[in-house]
Amino acid sequence: MVSRPLTEDELVEQARQGDGAAFGTLIRDHQEIAFRTAYLITRNAADAEDAAQTAFVKAYDALPRFRRGAPWRPWLLAIVANEARNRRRSAGRREHLALRAAHDLPSGDAAPSPEGSLLAAEQRQTLLAALETLREEERLVLSCRYLLDLSEEETAVALGVRRGTVKSRTSRALGRLRTQLEEEG
Amino acid sequence: MTELELRLTSLREEIAFPETPDLAARLERELAARRPTRPRLRPLAITLAVLVAMAAGVLVLSPGARSAFLEIFRLEGATVERVEDLPNVPTTERLQLGERVSREEAERLLGFELVDLGEPDAVFVRDERIATLVYGPIERPRLVLSQLRGSIFEGFVKKTAGAGTRVDEVTVKGERGLFVSGEQHFVMFRDEFGRIADEPTYLAGNTLLWNRGPLLLRLEGDLDRTEALELARSVR
Repeated sequence: MVSRPLTEDELVEQARQGDGAAFGTLIRDHQEIAFRTAYLITRNAADAEDAAQTAFVKAYDALPRFRRGAPWRPWLLAIVANEARNRRRSAGRREHLALRAAHDLPSGDAAPSPEGSLLAAEQRQTLLAALETLREEERLVLSCRYLLDLSEEETAVALGVRRGTVKSRTSRALGRLRTQLEEEG
Repeated sequence: MTELELRLTSLREEIAFPETPDLAARLERELAARRPTRPRLRPLAITLAVLVAMAAGVLVLSPGARSAFLEIFRLEGATVERVEDLPNVPTTERLQLGERVSREEAERLLGFELVDLGEPDAVFVRDERIATLVYGPIERPRLVLSQLRGSIFEGFVKKTAGAGTRVDEVTVKGERGLFVSGEQHFVMFRDEFGRIADEPTYLAGNTLLWNRGPLLLRLEGDLDRTEALELARSVR
């Protein structure tokens, strides 16, 4: 008999009952988005890894308080982002890496998708460079929405702002980004 | 989606993120070994019945009843007053626990972090002042934990016990409490806007009232004193 995969709600409920394997599945399902969210905030792989790991531990400890039926990912990302912000603050002047496109790396570990390959390397770098010129709050909101594909709601929770703020900040950031690209073009 | 948004979206697959570490492998065993030890509600202690039913109406306590107080016990936010005769209360009323809200909304409305005995089945807020955590079916809860900020509600809540009721002073984690048992009917009085009104309640269980820092907590259920105190000590 083939059993269907457990839903996220079922995994969360099993984890609440003490099922470590269920929580392991939840970690596997979310570790990439958790790590990348943390990385976009910390811009440091070690800090991002530490933030994501700590966030999963805190999420596990807080499972008894998690509201049944609520979406788990935004709740997790809020913890991740908070941990990441703490590390970003404590890191002070530590060097933060700028985002780079995979094609510009010496090794070709990350193969481009057909969709991504539509952008010429030069255009990608120009866009990334323009993104880097934005204020952090604007860069983060665009990163969450477009680079991580988080929903408005998830972005709001992760950044600790209202959904309306995400909308207005996104609009403002896109405007600045557009201006920056025009000035460079 | 604008062209710029499309370009940003296309960039998604192109960002050179560092390789995601395998946190699952690292954490799974470690976390399973230190499963949170929050005590779960024990079904045997709470199966026998319904607890609290707060009546829909608000009665005004008769002068006769008010004058019949025999004893007064005081907590920071509550007073238990023993009376000879309890006001008549309806016997079949729906729970009047307030508005059902999320835990986060309850905490926002009340301005403090709720304590609990484990994840409740429902959270209610009444008057943006009292939060009630319900365990078990909402229509027939097995256990109810109410909480309010005692410092704000000084003299606000009173709980009246009939003559057949036993009231024991207890200590919960070093703070004063009262265990009220024996009599099934209680009335919780409140003194809002300078008048005395009461919300009749009836219950088939016992009640533990105790202070916890700035909060006044009230636990109601089919619990004996030992069980109630054990649960109260596990509140966090």
